[in-house]
Amino acid sequence: MPELRKDPLIGRWVIIATERAKRPVDFLSAHDEPLPESECPFCEGHERLTPKEILAVRPAGAAPDGPGWKVRVVPSIKPVLRIEGELNRRAKGMYDIMDGIGAHEVVVEGPQHVRNAADLSADQLHASLQAVMARMNDLERDPRLRYVLWFKNYGEVAGAGRVQHSRSQLIATPVTPLRVKEELTGARRYFEEKERCLACDLLAQELEVKQRVVLETRHFVALCPFASRFPFEVWIVPKRHRCDFGKIQPEEAGDLATTFKEVLSRLKSVLDDPPYNMLLHTAPFRRQQGRVGHWKTIDDDYHWHIELIPRLTRVAGFEWGTGFYINPTPPEEATRYLRDAIVERESARQDAETPHV
Amino acid sequence: MSELRCDPVLGRWNIINTEAPAGPDAFEQDRGVMGGGACPFCYGNESMTPPEIYAVRPPGSAPNGQGWQLRVIPNKFPALKIEGDLDRKGLGVFDLCNGVGAHEVIVETPDHKRQMADLTLEELSHVIRAYKARSLDLRGDRRLKYTLIFKNVGLSAGASLEHGHSQLIALPIVPKRVQEELQGAQEYLEFRERCVYCDMLSQELHEDERLVSENRSFVAFCPFTSGFPFEMWILPKEHRADFAQISPEAIGDLARILKDTLGRLRAALADPAYNFVIHTSPIEVREREEYHWHVELIPKLTRVAGFEWGTGFYINPSSPEFAAKLLRDLALPH
Repeated sequence: MPELRKDPLIGRWVIIATERAKRPVDFLSAHDEPLPESECPFCEGHERLTPKEILAVRPAGAAPDGPGWKVRVVPSIKPVLRIEGELNRRAKGMYDIMDGIGAHEVVVEGPQHVRNAADLSADQLHASLQAVMARMNDLERDPRLRYVLWFKNYGEVAGAGRVQHSRSQLIATPVTPLRVKEELTGARRYFEEKERCLACDLLAQELEVKQRVVLETRHFVALCPFASRFPFEVWIVPKRHRCDFGKIQPEEAGDLATTFKEVLSRLKSVLDDPPYNMLLHTAPFRRQQGRVGHWKTIDDDYHWHIELIPRLTRVAGFEWGTGFYINPTPPEEATRYLRDAIVERESARQDAETPHV
Repeated sequence: MSELRCDPVLGRWNIINTEAPAGPDAFEQDRGVMGGGACPFCYGNESMTPPEIYAVRPPGSAPNGQGWQLRVIPNKFPALKIEGDLDRKGLGVFDLCNGVGAHEVIVETPDHKRQMADLTLEELSHVIRAYKARSLDLRGDRRLKYTLIFKNVGLSAGASLEHGHSQLIALPIVPKRVQEELQGAQEYLEFRERCVYCDMLSQELHEDERLVSENRSFVAFCPFTSGFPFEMWILPKEHRADFAQISPEAIGDLARILKDTLGRLRAALADPAYNFVIHTSPIEVREREEYHWHVELIPKLTRVAGFEWGTGFYINPSSPEFAAKLLRDLALPH
């Protein structure tokens, strides 16, 4: 059983895989050869290579774990947290431990062997988004879980490993992670002072100044944040204030798929298919209102959004020591490149054919 | 002049290069191997660097010429610059100030081939003394609030030059990560009236499960909550907040434990890329009672991916007990 261990200083939890302790040689041989398409566990026809599916978008009446699907959600083959068991919170001297309980699922974004989500149709991305929302809303019902992160690693440098097939991942944790708490606390502090949402203020300022806005759709704004940690970092922020991604309306989901595809395509074109990470920032599960660490104003003070981080620079000693990032490209500059990007005609045409719902 | 910009949610500051912004093309070389060409840190190439700030040289030898054992020079491509005012200002919901600070490079040896683990104890002591001298000197500058000493070895750990060197960055603000550590230590002290690091040290020495090596003044161990495989901390046994106050005897002991732990890392992991960071208290008049300076050594074996960025949670595929045993049991050629 993996363990969760809490850093007594800054309260950060770490997952320790005590069982399958990795040896030095495991890291040395980790120069991953990409897995050939014929062995890809996420291609249509290879369904037996994954654990049984949790959810799939298929024609009505089609049998599970066979071909014919559009999107498939399966448990991770190498889960970092397991769904079975109790948390078993305990102490070891001055340290806090609990068992590594949680969920780790993979959302396969299409039956074809497409690597970059930028090359999927907006319709395909829309179906994946709906699957993600359905899974998040389902995981919220598990009382042991407090938070779910939806994320995506694309390219070896961004941690994608050997499998190249386009997919995103969901990890649900039994604690609210520190990074999320910090953001929630920051948002709440701003709200307490001004009775306005920080992200809404920020959005208004960015739309007025227009220096960092990459693109704007009916429901979303894609922008390079003022204090970008990384070159060409892009955030997708919904115009409608809501703390919880899982509750967005159907027309917003359709628009998000289009926006997402457009931003990914521009990153691909400007930076020559860079590795990237995508992260959803959303409110923790809120069924336990009134608990320590939860508050009533979260609906008003927090604003969900998506962060896209191309992996162009390396995080080194300075960043580890200070939490300060050195960004060699001002976001205004990155915005200019991304705004002027010419995205391949073919993908642009696909977009035009895709209905917006 | 670069800018420091503050994230309004987390209070985390970043340095933005507004002066010579890099375009998309700037990152292509990062995918290859380290650049060749003449090494600015080798003998005979002293003119390739800005004039030295500090050096260990035979008496009577001229600065910026050959014959040195160690050199401290300003970084040719500094993240922060020493001239100018901070000029803190607001911009709508955002805060920013000018990128004022110091960015120096400590060239540890004239020998291009020798890495830190290969240095003699005497050479390592020179390096530590240079860290100390530079830290103390920068304290005279009232604009500076924090000094970070660190080292990146290997391409994946962020090094751009092969020749053994460390870096020093002095900042006009106390960074978020350091504030969090200080705050955590302060809360622990208020609650228990003890230092969290001293408690950690006594538990580690008592349990003896995660110790790697120990000498008169220092203990090296794999921390209980290691975020990275084979992560090691070197903690002074004496409770001290400020690295720059290190005593002459402790300098020798630190040199000894550094050589030992770096030798073990190299032997265990076939010369891995790593980061080395000295965590110390901010530049202040008072001695911080709650803090305990230490060195963190992080081999670069895993990749930080979406989950870590999104949550601040690190997934460590190894366990510190396993790593410590392996590192401890190595027979080192001395």
